[in-house]
Amino acid sequence: MKINFSNKKITGMLSVLPSNEVMFEDEMHNYSFSEAKSLKLKTAMGFKSKRIVAEDTTTSFDMAVAGFDYLFDNNLLVKNSIDAVLFISQSPEYIMPPTSNLIHGKYELDERVVCLDINQGCAGFIIGLQQAFMLLDNDGINKVVLCNADVLSPKVSKFDRNSNPLIGDAAAITIIENTSENTSIVGEIRMNGSGAMALNVPAGGARMPITAETSELYEDSFGNKRSKNHLVMQGDNVFNFVQTKVPEQINKILENSNDTVESIDYFLFHQPNRFMLQKLADKLGVSRDKLPSNVVENFGNSSGVTIPVVTTFNLGEQLENSEMNVCFSGFGVGLTWGTIIMKIGNLDFCKLIYK
Amino acid sequence: MEDFLEQMAEIMEVDNVNPSDELTSFEAWDSLTTLSIIALADDDYQVSLTNAEIADAKTIEGLHQLILSKQNA
Repeated sequence: MKINFSNKKITGMLSVLPSNEVMFEDEMHNYSFSEAKSLKLKTAMGFKSKRIVAEDTTTSFDMAVAGFDYLFDNNLLVKNSIDAVLFISQSPEYIMPPTSNLIHGKYELDERVVCLDINQGCAGFIIGLQQAFMLLDNDGINKVVLCNADVLSPKVSKFDRNSNPLIGDAAAITIIENTSENTSIVGEIRMNGSGAMALNVPAGGARMPITAETSELYEDSFGNKRSKNHLVMQGDNVFNFVQTKVPEQINKILENSNDTVESIDYFLFHQPNRFMLQKLADKLGVSRDKLPSNVVENFGNSSGVTIPVVTTFNLGEQLENSEMNVCFSGFGVGLTWGTIIMKIGNLDFCKLIYK
Repeated sequence: MEDFLEQMAEIMEVDNVNPSDELTSFEAWDSLTTLSIIALADDDYQVSLTNAEIADAKTIEGLHQLILSKQNA
């Protein structure tokens, strides 16, 4: 699907990270690998510390609410100005009702405010932006609150060296509004459902309810232990997919736009790990400092929240005071890959806070 | 083949490798070396490999043949 909008802009962005920090070395002894091998992995992938909720009882909803409270308390968002709430997550509060409706209820939003939950992962920020732009084309919708939130750390086995070192938790709130300025927003979203199970949590849905049996740990061919309740990732397939499809998509969008690699100030990508991001930068011919890859080492990979995290962490003050031409790209679960090129800046707020 | 042997020696962290060496026989062999091989194939040979294909290739020579056959496909 092509993305092509004008007269819309992002006016604020807030990331919420757990205050609880876990170092790679703290958990290294859980993996069935020698210390030397684990430290080699740490260097290659860029693992250092991650931010995960201290208690499994803290949910995506709680992280999002911390963000809303901050915005309301600091008068950065006015309740009555909200026309729609999007909640994009793979860790909803309940199977029913939608988590966005719970947010609506908690803040006693007006009945005219429309709520929508979307189940999306690594590309969740791109999907959310695209949905927000579409909503803004409807009468009476002038401000959309996009909430990306995921607490997946409880869904990852502590004995899985494939996933545990990189997973982080986070929430983000992005405000998208109509504007009289003639803005240009271009991009594309593509999907390949035949790769849908490349990243999955087998048990816990309708197909495979959680039982004592699904909770038993099994060992894979590399010595990682996880249960069917845990997230499992086919790293090889994900790597090949990202390295092939993402540069192809971005090059095509650039070809069809007035932009070049040089005219983009920053490439703000989903953050799977430093290794994959540096490879992507090299493939695109982008200098590595224009494609920040420092989220996993500081916070972990929080799925659809990583694009707001990489943006607020690296460019917070700059985006409050100036404008830039950026390329957002998210890729992963689904398989889904999406890219949006747009100007962003002079934001009402662009901050990262801890809960 | 010479280049490939050098590249494999670097990934396996040894001075040199023989075509007949079994992939799993190296001390360094783990999921990270597999990923390094996948990245090497993508960077230098423009082919996509999976973990299963690498395991099936068994030896350094087998891996080289696999990459060549994919390049010619």
